[in-house]
Amino acid sequence: MSSKAIVCRCEDVTLDDVEHTIAIGYRSVEEVKRYTGLGTGPCQGKECMVHAALLCARASGAPPETIAPFTSRPPVAAAPLRIFAAAEKDDDDQAQR
Amino acid sequence: MPSSDLRLPHPPRGAPVTLRFEGRDLPACEGESVAVALYASGERVLSRSVKYHRPRGFFCLDGHCGACLMRVGGKPNIKACLTPVKDGLAVERQNAFPSGGFDVLAAADFFFSSGMDHHTMMTSPRALNAVMQKVVRQLGGLGRLPDERPGGPPPLPAVSVRHVEVAVVGGGPAGLAAAATLARAGREVLLVDEQDRPGGSYLAHPSFGVPAADRAADEARAAGVELISRAAAISWFPEDAPKPGAPPGLLAVYTQAGLLELTADRYLYATGAYDQNALFIDNDRPGVLAARAVGRLLSRFGILPGERPLVLGAGPYAQALASALENAGAQVTRVDGIETRLLAAKGHSWVRAAELLAPGAKRAHRVRCDLIAVAALPAPASELPRQHGVPVELRPQGGGFACVVDADGASAIPKVFAAGDVTGFKGPEAARTQGERAGLALARSFS
Ligand code: FES
Repeated sequence: MSSKAIVCRCEDVTLDDVEHTIAIGYRSVEEVKRYTGLGTGPCQGKECMVHAALLCARASGAPPETIAPFTSRPPVAAAPLRIFAAAEKDDDDQAQR
Repeated sequence: MPSSDLRLPHPPRGAPVTLRFEGRDLPACEGESVAVALYASGERVLSRSVKYHRPRGFFCLDGHCGACLMRVGGKPNIKACLTPVKDGLAVERQNAFPSGGFDVLAAADFFFSSGMDHHTMMTSPRALNAVMQKVVRQLGGLGRLPDERPGGPPPLPAVSVRHVEVAVVGGGPAGLAAAATLARAGREVLLVDEQDRPGGSYLAHPSFGVPAADRAADEARAAGVELISRAAAISWFPEDAPKPGAPPGLLAVYTQAGLLELTADRYLYATGAYDQNALFIDNDRPGVLAARAVGRLLSRFGILPGERPLVLGAGPYAQALASALENAGAQVTRVDGIETRLLAAKGHSWVRAAELLAPGAKRAHRVRCDLIAVAALPAPASELPRQHGVPVELRPQGGGFACVVDADGASAIPKVFAAGDVTGFKGPEAARTQGERAGLALARSFS
């Protein structure tokens, strides 16, 4: 087992990965997400986004309140696709009526 | 790693049931989640991580971190911490070859000891790139497809549509207090909570625990609040209307009965806060748990989480947890994380020690421990209000991106309120007070 400090557990993104990303010039949470894949796993950033934001703020010297989160997209919690399939079917029924 | 039953004698337990864990029978009690029952029996490695195949156990015990995904009842990627035990339920580890205990793919952790950059991997020579893609495909992915069901897939669950006066999301201290206040003022309130038992952060706090959670839920129900458990609000869809001709905007709620399309005259987000980890070496080791997960094990489930726990953190919660663990008979090491720093967790499939750096010391020293409870500030769970247009602000003292609201919980979006830890972490007592105040303001907003 090698030594790693993990920022994003879902996607195995390490502190080194995030620091490297910031060092090559990406300074926003959205950019760090796109470059490292952080925040794209099952938890969708619930554990890593604030760490990424604070690391970005520290690196850029920007006041925290100017740092934006990445966009939150549905669903916020994991849900089986079948529940949406059922909603879709209702839409079709309505269209046919 | 302790292997005997860690259930403490005192709190009354549900009826005994038996889990089928990888072909073995494991004792459990009704009211426990799969993750809790496995922990109580000493089974700690639940899966392997997606890229480096590092051993993983649960972290938050609250349905948020995604660290507890297992194959349950033949279905992959089920959160073991949110799944109640049932007699005969089949539970397996996932993402490990040939088994969760031993994983040959963990070699990835050695090969890529300084990290795996998929960008540079893609620019390497073509032949090598092709090989790497195969390796990565072997390593990647979460779980295997579900078992085939005899007779094909079950019918799709029904979609229900409802409109209420006030929709409250989250059944913790703030949500329950606001809902009860509103119902007493004569309002129709529907509260949805994703956990199997209402109470939220009360259930994780040794000074509150089950009695406070039950009291708050009973008061809300007695006032007339309709409370649905295991109902996760998963999205705010601003463009969708529940019915043709209705104004756009609906809250999608995943309930055990299927999808609920919910609309309301007023919305209150009391979604709480997510447990956070601290950034030290091997902070993902099984046995590094969110302090509130340790609090839940102890206060809600009556399980002694460890005999030599280390509690990391300087705040009031770390203090309360450390005392409660000591009272339960544990030998606690406290590390504030400011003066004395935690550098690394030691141990392979379970934590055995921690490497600390004392103030002024040149070299690190080790302390033995069988658990690291990380009491970092929880981060406001502000995704749903963000989807609903509520502005947020990064507040390091509030744990993360907090909803911006006034003293009554009103946001910049008309008819949308937020209260409790989602407006900046504040703990159960202050969250309850803020919830009550938001409830009064919401009640006034109708007249
Ligand atoms: S999601 Fe289950 S432990 Fe965090």
